Amino acid sequence: MALTTAQSGLSRARRGVAPGGAGGPANRKSKLSAQTSRTFFWLLLPSVVLLVLIHGYPLIHAGVQATHDGSLIQTGNFVGGENFATVLSSPAFWKAAQFTLMFTIVGVFGSWLVGLGLALLLRTKIPAGGTFKVLLLLPWVVPIVVSSTAWNWLVATPDSLIPSLFRNLGLGTPLFLADPNLAAITVMVFKVWVSFPFMMMMISAALASVDTTVYEAASMDGATRWQQFSQITLPLIARSTYISWILMTIFCVNDFPTIYLLTGGGPVSATTSLVVLAYRTVFQDFATGPGVAIAFLMTMTLVVISVLLYRQIRKSSVE
Amino acid sequence: MSTKPSIASSAFSRRGFLGFAAAAASAPLLAACGGGSASQGGGGAGGTIKFWDMPWATPAYNDAAKKLAEGFSGSGSKASYQIIQWNNFYQTFSSAIASKTGPAVSTGGGFQAFQFEQQGQIAYADKVIDKLKENGQFDDFLPGVLDPFKSDKGYVAVPWQLDMRVFWYRKSLFEKAGVGLPTDWPSLLEAGKALKKVGAFGFTTGAGAGNNYGNHSMIMMMVNNGGGVWNKDGELDLMNDRNVEAMEFVLELVSNGIVDPAAVSYTTDNMSAQWKDGKAGYGLFQVNVPQRVGDTSGDLLVADPITGPHGDKATIVFPNNIMMYTNTPSQEASEAFLVYYLGQLKELWRQKLMSALPVFKSITEMPEFANDPNNVKIVKDWQPIAKTFAAQGKTLNANLAALDGGQALNQFSQTILTGKADAKTALQTFQSGLESVLKK
Repeated sequence: MALTTAQSGLSRARRGVAPGGAGGPANRKSKLSAQTSRTFFWLLLPSVVLLVLIHGYPLIHAGVQATHDGSLIQTGNFVGGENFATVLSSPAFWKAAQFTLMFTIVGVFGSWLVGLGLALLLRTKIPAGGTFKVLLLLPWVVPIVVSSTAWNWLVATPDSLIPSLFRNLGLGTPLFLADPNLAAITVMVFKVWVSFPFMMMMISAALASVDTTVYEAASMDGATRWQQFSQITLPLIARSTYISWILMTIFCVNDFPTIYLLTGGGPVSATTSLVVLAYRTVFQDFATGPGVAIAFLMTMTLVVISVLLYRQIRKSSVE
Repeated sequence: MSTKPSIASSAFSRRGFLGFAAAAASAPLLAACGGGSASQGGGGAGGTIKFWDMPWATPAYNDAAKKLAEGFSGSGSKASYQIIQWNNFYQTFSSAIASKTGPAVSTGGGFQAFQFEQQGQIAYADKVIDKLKENGQFDDFLPGVLDPFKSDKGYVAVPWQLDMRVFWYRKSLFEKAGVGLPTDWPSLLEAGKALKKVGAFGFTTGAGAGNNYGNHSMIMMMVNNGGGVWNKDGELDLMNDRNVEAMEFVLELVSNGIVDPAAVSYTTDNMSAQWKDGKAGYGLFQVNVPQRVGDTSGDLLVADPITGPHGDKATIVFPNNIMMYTNTPSQEASEAFLVYYLGQLKELWRQKLMSALPVFKSITEMPEFANDPNNVKIVKDWQPIAKTFAAQGKTLNANLAALDGGQALNQFSQTILTGKADAKTALQTFQSGLESVLKK
């Protein structure tokens, strides 16, 4: 019954029918008086101006820098797409892009899986659940400078806590930040650790809105726990999931401090992501144009990914 | 069984989402071109000389420096003091200078003055030098510290401290290992092997996040062998035989476990901890290491300079400097402030706030400085052989900023410290990386 109601609601929404009424947004719009339109315009104007100033100007300025040579102080000559060509023909860019991809995939799905597991766990009655929840939020709440220092203390030297633990277990002494492969894994694990509370909160909020009678009905129909999870829980939180994936993708691709504070992008560029590469190119190599070109390419990629995921959200709503 | 979300999607509009996504996705762009934090106030509005200073030592240093700066009153002006953090400092200065809200006088990165000179933002200090000649301070400069700042157009900046790299050692570890102090490369190798047997490292360094000591160790070894990044004419010259030989030697140290295998990822704090915990037997560090690592037992001492295989003896030094900018309420007041401030520097060493050498002989003779035998040894044995990052050339220039802390050098140091490539290959990659940056 609940399912039918949900489907019915969805169907009405898709048709643009407001709950309890016959008029959709289009109809309402047509009924807006000229006076109301003018009021909307003047109310929105300050925000629009502010947005243009805050986002528009830097974007345009960045566009100028990406197509010119020169420095942060003096924009030089127009070089067209040369900075983009330089960046795209650089092996360092593609290595950073590859790492960014891996970092993002692991960051998004790793934090989602951990967050989902904990969100489901928190739905059950566990002792000291409130305290547990607060503790789980700590990685997200603690400033990244503090947590990266803590992680450095845990893994950096052969005498750090975790390498010592490995040694005592007879597993050798892994150099978590000195070995290129281990450093990449460590940074990704750190990212998952920092991010899972956000995912947990998103999923918890989505789960809270699920009507428990759905499960009762499914249980009466003989659905197993797995069937309930895969065919009720996951679809019901699908929209939240896609939104959290979009946000986390943006967070991961743009994540500078997690990587820079822990490894600085090393060793030997093993953990250099695109945003770290852009930073180093502009502020350490003082190559402003190519550095901003990297940032442009990142932005375009993020917009494409976001649009694709958005389509997925709409699809999940329509099915 | 399948089900659908119970909340319909009509409220989640495509336009709204795209707006949100575009705003969020544009973060890297905004970060890349955003302004720094130096937008406070005009360039010395009201005749006030804005002096920007870096956190060169503990907060007590900045407190003392602020007091000194604000004690200025000359040419009808006063001075204000502002601390600029190292993090993103180039962006901070650049954006402030671009918006005409930058300082009139500042300390800063070792090659910053040359970068901004290239962009026409630096006021030459020739008149300051003339005044120093008049008040006797000119003759007080240690030999050779002023020359690197002289360009064809004039003095780009005035040095005020020397950030030198010298070898330090822990005496008790050498005694435990039963080995003498290195005097040359072969004895450095032998000492390293002996130290390894007692669980210590004979070439302590680090090249992790924000740590430049690994980079400095590499250049120091090149310079110590009569090589360097540039030739005498200031052209890039990384593939010279002396550099190759120096890097082959460092790779030998790495392969013998004389360098900590985790050093490639060490921050300066990790490195300091190695010294504090008795894991570091010998290695390149700055002035004032005992104070920095918190071990004043007298066990940490400055070593003698070592001799390279061809008889060369050298280390590297960063002559940190004070620069004046063209954007000032009064050039005369900027100059008066700089002369005044240089005259007050002794107070910083008198209070033992500095982790660098002074540039004035008179300060090296102050009891507060000279009572430390490590300081005396550095001035006596290391300062005369110190060369800048410009070695084998002598004059500083803007290109050095791209070398210092740039991606090419950092990657090179990390490659050597991991022992992943032979010396020639690593140097070739370094040369290519640096060339691509210097073209800009």
